[in-house]
Amino acid sequence: MTDCVAIVIVSHSPEVAKGAADMVREMVGEEVRVAYCGGNSEGGLGTDVGAIQAAIRKVMGPKGVAVLVDLGGAETNSEMAIELMADELLGEVVLCDAPIVEGAVMAATEASGGASLDAVRSTAEEFLS
Amino acid sequence: MAPDLVRRLREETAARIAAHTDELTALDQAIGDGDHGFNMKRGFEAIAAAAEDLDALALGPALQKAGMTLVMKVGGASGPLYGSFLMAWGKAMTGDPPTREDFAASLAEGVAAVKKRGRSEAGEKTMLDVLVPVLDAITQAQGDPIAAARQAAKDGLETTRDMKATKGRASFLGERSIGHIDPGARSSALLVETVCDVLEENP
Amino acid sequence: MSDAAQTQGEDSFVHGEAVVRDPTGLHARPAVKLTKLAKSFEAKVEIRGGGNGPWINAKSPNAVMKMKAGFGETLGVRASGAQAHDAVAALVGLIERNFDG
Repeated sequence: MTDCVAIVIVSHSPEVAKGAADMVREMVGEEVRVAYCGGNSEGGLGTDVGAIQAAIRKVMGPKGVAVLVDLGGAETNSEMAIELMADELLGEVVLCDAPIVEGAVMAATEASGGASLDAVRSTAEEFLS
Repeated sequence: MAPDLVRRLREETAARIAAHTDELTALDQAIGDGDHGFNMKRGFEAIAAAAEDLDALALGPALQKAGMTLVMKVGGASGPLYGSFLMAWGKAMTGDPPTREDFAASLAEGVAAVKKRGRSEAGEKTMLDVLVPVLDAITQAQGDPIAAARQAAKDGLETTRDMKATKGRASFLGERSIGHIDPGARSSALLVETVCDVLEENP
Repeated sequence: MSDAAQTQGEDSFVHGEAVVRDPTGLHARPAVKLTKLAKSFEAKVEIRGGGNGPWINAKSPNAVMKMKAGFGETLGVRASGAQAHDAVAALVGLIERNFDG
């Protein structure tokens, strides 16, 4: 459904990213669109701006996309990816300051009820508060 | 400015980073996650390989394109940091060839972009501890700006040894980051040296 | 607006109760299911643990998960506003079915 906020998961590890996305799909269901990416352009640990952009494009809808990241470079690269694609995007993209797995499940649960991007981000960020 | 300046910068920076990959890796293993050497090598190899795209460009557009290459290829935090640096620097560089004033003013935009991207300032054990003093040296130099930049890079790098990291992965180590020079500052110093070398042979 | 309960007082709530049957308690997956179900109703929906714990928002996945309701615990369910009866019946049903579907 395109009337839910979509989730993008960006980890240094492709396995972590896929695992987190699997948890979201299994626990929350298919109605929230989830995309993920992990690993650098050579397949090692790291993040890849091009892959992050592709993941965002894949799930972007009018209600926007909430991005969950793991450590340092994932956040910096995600910010860079979002800035570089600012002109082409249909909806808003926000980074959530939340743990990647728990934040993704919380964000998707909130999104499944049709919540706004702001509400989805707050729910993800609430997890540790 | 010599017509083959972009080519020389492209080749020499890649060669210098490749020659110091192991050193950067060792520095990053001490206080980071050990990927800085290979990330930088991969990024500058990609720039070196983009000869057809880069060599025909003026310095400003070439820097922008090289920055975008780093952003897309590096994979660690250094990609967006160095990438933002080169993109902002190149974008602000209007002259072809740039005057000394244009070079310094545009470099200041590049340094500002690194601060913004890293949400950081000099004094936090990062590449900014080299870039900020180098910028200041070039802006304020009475004599030879290249010599001033070299010295500022060397001194700036050394100041990171006694700093406690508060940004990036090294910040997890807190006090234990003291005593190691910062790998990002080291790669910045290497690049400054290389650019100085190239500019001296291509006045 | 099928329910008469439109005011905000305690009396305007429709109440229900159910016992947690899963040996591991109200863990992550059931908590998500419960939250999603609560969100599907317009009504204000709240739950509480331990018979008389504090009422918490059943639509907040963080709050429901942090409740850490255990095996055998009786959960209170209450709702007010549109579809309040349906909401309580649905949530009680879900808990009673041990979150099966």
